[in-house]
Amino acid sequence: MSPGLRRGFLAVVALVAIVWPALLSDFSRSLATDGLIFGLIVLSLVLLTGFVGQTSFCQYSFAAVGAFTVGSLVAGHHWSFWLAMPLGVTAAAVVGALVAIPALRLTGLFLTILTVAVALFFDRFVLAPGTWDSYSGGLSPWVVGRPAFLGVNLDTSYRFYLFVLGAFALCSLLVWNFRRGKTGRVLRAIRDAEIAASTLGINLTAWKLAAFATSAGLAGLAGSLLAVSVGSVSTGGYDFIHSLGVAAVATVMGVSSVASAAAGGLFLVYGPEILRRLHVSPQWFNLVTGALLIVQLIVTPDGMVTDVQHKLQHLLQHRAARRPARAGEVDLAVAETPAGARGEAAATRPVRTGGAQ
Amino acid sequence: MTRTTASMPQGRLIKPPSLLEVEHITVRFGGVRALDDASLRVNTGEIVGLIGPNGAGKTTFFNCVSGVLKPDSGRVVFDGHELGDLPPHRRSRLGLARTFQNLQLFSGLTALENLMVAVDARSQRGMLADAFRTPLARLEERKAEERARAVLHFLHLSDRADTLAGDLPVGLQRRLDLGRALVGRPRVLLLDEPAAGLDTRETAELAELLLRVRDRFNVTMLLVDHDMALVMRVCDHIYVLDFGEMLTQGPPAQIRQDETVIRAYLGEAVV
Repeated sequence: MSPGLRRGFLAVVALVAIVWPALLSDFSRSLATDGLIFGLIVLSLVLLTGFVGQTSFCQYSFAAVGAFTVGSLVAGHHWSFWLAMPLGVTAAAVVGALVAIPALRLTGLFLTILTVAVALFFDRFVLAPGTWDSYSGGLSPWVVGRPAFLGVNLDTSYRFYLFVLGAFALCSLLVWNFRRGKTGRVLRAIRDAEIAASTLGINLTAWKLAAFATSAGLAGLAGSLLAVSVGSVSTGGYDFIHSLGVAAVATVMGVSSVASAAAGGLFLVYGPEILRRLHVSPQWFNLVTGALLIVQLIVTPDGMVTDVQHKLQHLLQHRAARRPARAGEVDLAVAETPAGARGEAAATRPVRTGGAQ
Repeated sequence: MTRTTASMPQGRLIKPPSLLEVEHITVRFGGVRALDDASLRVNTGEIVGLIGPNGAGKTTFFNCVSGVLKPDSGRVVFDGHELGDLPPHRRSRLGLARTFQNLQLFSGLTALENLMVAVDARSQRGMLADAFRTPLARLEERKAEERARAVLHFLHLSDRADTLAGDLPVGLQRRLDLGRALVGRPRVLLLDEPAAGLDTRETAELAELLLRVRDRFNVTMLLVDHDMALVMRVCDHIYVLDFGEMLTQGPPAQIRQDETVIRAYLGEAVV
């Protein structure tokens, strides 16, 4: 997509994302808010699975670190959310880096199994009642109120939605900047050919650690936002099954695209809601996701959002091909032509680019 | 060219400046000696060939030099520095680049990105600079792209810049693999069977390209290949490896006529 077109498209999306929820009911708006928060978890997978190529089934455990840090500090110790939240994100990033250390020696399926082990370790041990009640809250959930942002109280659903939208947009921009910069190239290079990357001078250990930590940090941020969005933190919301679900949705949407995060997050909240409106039990949602996953893997292996993006790109490239070449490209062509043949090149140029003039 | 020392009188023989010295390397895989006391030296500006039958230990030798594999004994000296336990990425930063027999391209990246990664690998910039697209990040990004495009142009790959590496035909993938190693301006380039999978015409083109690369990039090369036409055409000096041992060495003309080489390597075809 050309930068100008992308900017225009993003402006429309931003406008819709700001205005449309103002017209929704409180309930739908809080669904949209949670959708964006789940979107952050999908985004953390875009970084880890899409860039580094590593499947993770413990993203909700990282989110739990963020959520319970906020829960225990805000509800248990009367900390400000603004102090607890960065601490939660940092703690999640540290846990992510710790998980990455054994992960450095494992690849593929074995690493995936390791992430399952991490998720179960959090479910069954760290957050289980009796292990560390001052952190997990034991049998009673932490109750957390909405914070104020720069003096503005985020107690109405629309204000809080805008706050979460801002956080989501910022993180998406961050990941998008990774994607188009050195970070994205290096991580995708590691994904495609590790040994070649290291012989080029890339420090595999450092980059993998950084990727895991950043991904876990994003999930941790989602967790700490979820804590104040829901208003309470309890262990049931962060179990292994949630991690599986978000990994499935990220795959369905396409892990290589930043846009998948928004689509995936909204799908996670509106999917069950649509089933409810159709008088189908939302319990069927996992089955729907599973079926969708199978269809997607056969029809669009790169993911649905990615597929739509590719089709759009093809469409636009076809149109762009008919437009004249840009000035820089023409200059280069002339520069490469030997002096004697230059007249000929100049003569053929209008024919090549003349179509659209 | 640099071989002139060989014609000097014995008493005045000056040790030529070796850029890469591999001394008495031994590698055991279980009970098998993949390499047995193998030594080799490459002088600045030379293209040195390493040939030998399948399983002679050529790739093992390569892996020891590039740091993918640690030899049981022996040492690798690059420009006077003993490399010891240095990991591959540190060796690369010293100026030691390699290509791969099975290519190992970043197939999900475009041709341009494949080369840009090689520039990225040299920059100290971390994720933070990328996240906020600092002026430094933008500048380095632009420089990396310029450098990558220049190398693409040199390899006549400019029109494939935005093609995914995995979608290129094998001949062009070989060229891209070579380009990726060259982008970082290495001083020594290790080429692991660059002619594998190429036909006769493509191999001849590759030979010309390698000579062009040496002149343009001022790079010293160590080349492993089966293709005798390629090795004889481009190499200044050839080492012959057999069952993990260095059988003999010498200039191409001499190797071509060496009895032991013919028996060990060219083997049945001649006997």
